[in-house]
Amino acid sequence: METDFNNILIFGTNIKTEKEKQIISKLLNTNPAIEQWNIDLEDIDSVLRIESKSLHAQEIIKMITAEDFKCAELTE
Amino acid sequence: MRTRDSNKEEIVKQKAIALLVEKGIEGFSMNRLAKESSISVATLYIYYSDKDDLIKKIGIEIGKNFFDEMAKDFSPSMSFKEGLYKQWENRIRFALSKPLEVSCWEVLTHSSYGEYILEKSLLDFKIIMGSFFKNSVEKKELIPISKETFWSVAYGPLYSLLRFERDGKNFGGGPFKLNKKTIDETFELVLKALTP
Repeated sequence: METDFNNILIFGTNIKTEKEKQIISKLLNTNPAIEQWNIDLEDIDSVLRIESKSLHAQEIIKMITAEDFKCAELTE
Repeated sequence: MRTRDSNKEEIVKQKAIALLVEKGIEGFSMNRLAKESSISVATLYIYYSDKDDLIKKIGIEIGKNFFDEMAKDFSPSMSFKEGLYKQWENRIRFALSKPLEVSCWEVLTHSSYGEYILEKSLLDFKIIMGSFFKNSVEKKELIPISKETFWSVAYGPLYSLLRFERDGKNFGGGPFKLNKKTIDETFELVLKALTP
């Protein structure tokens, strides 16, 4: 099925390691409003990509920064 | 409201192919691709979830294009000679018209992505070629040999010629231009080797 581009949120983060990824995995995996997510640890911006119909960028940023990571929405 | 910009997507695809050929999989980065395609990193990640996803999608698409070209005017019930010649024609056309795709295909299929990409894109083609092979043996137009031997003899010489053509020179460094006479001459020898 084609992903609706309007439901995709893109963030730059400073999450660099698998261990750090696991910390946010717990948060994101258990959030029912998140349909799918992934983080590109290979990328210089450690891009976090989230598919959600209802969440806003600010809510994601709050979740991630609460774990002491940097997180900023990347705009087009 | 975001909409799918197929024009932009096509540019990204072409740049990705060029970058993969130039840098290899290790040297390829999403950031670099965004820069070269003059789009933001965010836009790129809207199209593709990560580098892995991009490489798989690009690989499968090249594979499908390749398959479409190979299947053109070809049927597994053709006589062995006719069918194999058609395969040669189709492969030559694809190699000459899409050199970058061919190079990218080589990079990807010889990487850890190879198995996944081949499985996803060439399954139908494998079935068609398998039945062409089987029919030809049954009709006694092809000697019964292993698939690997068949492939090496049937296409190896063709790919050598295509490599000379791509480089514009032969192994000794002398100039080379592929023409129908060379193709047909080589094809006849291949046929001689494979037919009973």
